[in-house]
Amino acid sequence: MTSSPAPEPQPNSGAQPGDVSSSGPALAVRSQGLDKIFSNGFQALSKVDLSVSKGEVVVIMGPSGSGKSTLIRTFNGLETIQAGHLEVLGHHLDADNNPKVVSKIRHHVGMVFQQFNLFPHLSILENVTLAPIWVQKRDRQKVKEDALALLDHVGIREQAHKYPSQLSGGQQQRVAIARALALSPQLMLFDEPTSALDPEKVKEVLETIRALAAEGMTMVVVTHEVGFAREVADRVVFMDEGMIVEQASPKTFFTDPKEERSQLFLSRIL
Amino acid sequence: MADTPRPGPRPAQLLRRLRRGLFASHLDTLITVVLAVVCGSGLWSLLHWTFLQADWAVVQDNIRLYFNGNFPVSQIWRSWSWLGLLGVLCILTLMPSRLLPPAMVRLLPLFWVLILPIGLLLLAAGLGFEPVKSRFWGGLQLSLLLTLGTILMALPLGILMALARRSSLPLLRWLTTGYIELMRGMPLIAVLFFGQLMIPLFLPEGWTFSRVLRAVLSLGFFMAAYMAEDVRGGLQSIPKTQLEAARSLGLSPLLTIALVELPQALRTALPALANQCVASLQNTSLLAYLGLIELLGISRSILANPNYLGRHLEVYLWLALVYWAVCILMTSLARRVEHSLNVTGHH
Repeated sequence: MTSSPAPEPQPNSGAQPGDVSSSGPALAVRSQGLDKIFSNGFQALSKVDLSVSKGEVVVIMGPSGSGKSTLIRTFNGLETIQAGHLEVLGHHLDADNNPKVVSKIRHHVGMVFQQFNLFPHLSILENVTLAPIWVQKRDRQKVKEDALALLDHVGIREQAHKYPSQLSGGQQQRVAIARALALSPQLMLFDEPTSALDPEKVKEVLETIRALAAEGMTMVVVTHEVGFAREVADRVVFMDEGMIVEQASPKTFFTDPKEERSQLFLSRIL
Repeated sequence: MADTPRPGPRPAQLLRRLRRGLFASHLDTLITVVLAVVCGSGLWSLLHWTFLQADWAVVQDNIRLYFNGNFPVSQIWRSWSWLGLLGVLCILTLMPSRLLPPAMVRLLPLFWVLILPIGLLLLAAGLGFEPVKSRFWGGLQLSLLLTLGTILMALPLGILMALARRSSLPLLRWLTTGYIELMRGMPLIAVLFFGQLMIPLFLPEGWTFSRVLRAVLSLGFFMAAYMAEDVRGGLQSIPKTQLEAARSLGLSPLLTIALVELPQALRTALPALANQCVASLQNTSLLAYLGLIELLGISRSILANPNYLGRHLEVYLWLALVYWAVCILMTSLARRVEHSLNVTGHH
């Protein structure tokens, strides 16, 4: 990992989407020596170095408890880090976990969770418009039009006035994707987006993510979907016990894994 | 439930159902007969007393006192018009919302907050009316004023304390926890006495609070502790993942509380909060023992009149009826609010 001087985080990169990408570095995420230790003493990440270029689709795989979810949760500050350095879209975060930096990062990073985490008291449309209205303070009418366009994009415009509990899991997850996209993020994090879905609903969600990848969105996806990783990923990262064991192109990883642990993992899931 | 056609003509069906429900076995029949005799004889003597023995003059002659207290007769329209406004507001709230213009439905909560200052303006002074001292307020009108004042004070205070109780600042957390435990550990009547005697000691030189205001402050501080616990329960029921979703969308802690946590917490806490509101009405009757002539107080002073010697039973039965009617009204209002927040049937 080269340690070229990274550009200073821009002082006023709060509200306008796109201002970092125009002048920022070519890397979307760079982590160096990242350590995550939970309050009960469990070390979930140790010395993780990972870089994600702009426009790249990185799939993280690994057995449960290997730290893959924890890793991408550090990327938008949902988990604090105890050592190391993190650079996300030109914003630098250290073990002090400066809340101001975290807040700036979150304005440009979208996240999709395993359990969708839609707000049950808000309609589908309100779920999508909440952050643009209150965080970006954009015009309500414009936000509403954009949100409907996004919902159309993920194929659930007809359900805009229903509530999350009235939708299927697959539909809810697509709303969650639209909600994250409403802030025009430059980086999307997916934390096992299809693990909580019925098998027949997995496809529609993966299609939505695939379409997003085709549009050039930078994405880090934690998933067990081998088919998806093979087709969509530019790079597969294999983690175990809080460390990155192997990184390779999907073709190499699935046909000719180098490390013993990767081979063992693949022999179990393939 | 949909009407499903059942076999047999209606009376026969009813008879069958009665037999199955009440006389299915010998034991069932015995229980039915004993209960019927006990309830029937009780009801018979109540009706007998109500219509043949009771003298309802003590109620009929004093309707004005029960409703308006000692409000000056020349100004009594002010008292009635406030009660009337309150009644209209209840009807508007209970009406199916599709019969009302949407703007009106949105403004209803605001009206419920405004009805208190409007009441104070109408009853006390202002608008160029002749001022009426609060010691002339009484009866149901005062009970409702005290209840409304208590709720409007205790609810926001309770929400703030529930939030403070899980604050990351230890001092704030300890203080609110201590306050809530203290208030819940004291009987209300003691709090009310403390309030009447001690609030004046804390006031700056030259300030005086009327007895009514002191009563509302004591009731409000007391109820706030209970409401805080109800809201805390609601807050605890929200999964942590909701907060993570809010945070990952960039919502600040304050926005997360206002837009994600409180709306969900209050929905969950609503039945418990409604319960506290009904309790607030019942609690106002304790103020009869502190010299306020609210519904119970005015009744006691009516009973003290030699003309109505020994008419306790009539008065207390009448009181029970009035309190019960207001409680029914409050619970149906609460159910209405619950329903309007839950139209989608989630949770």
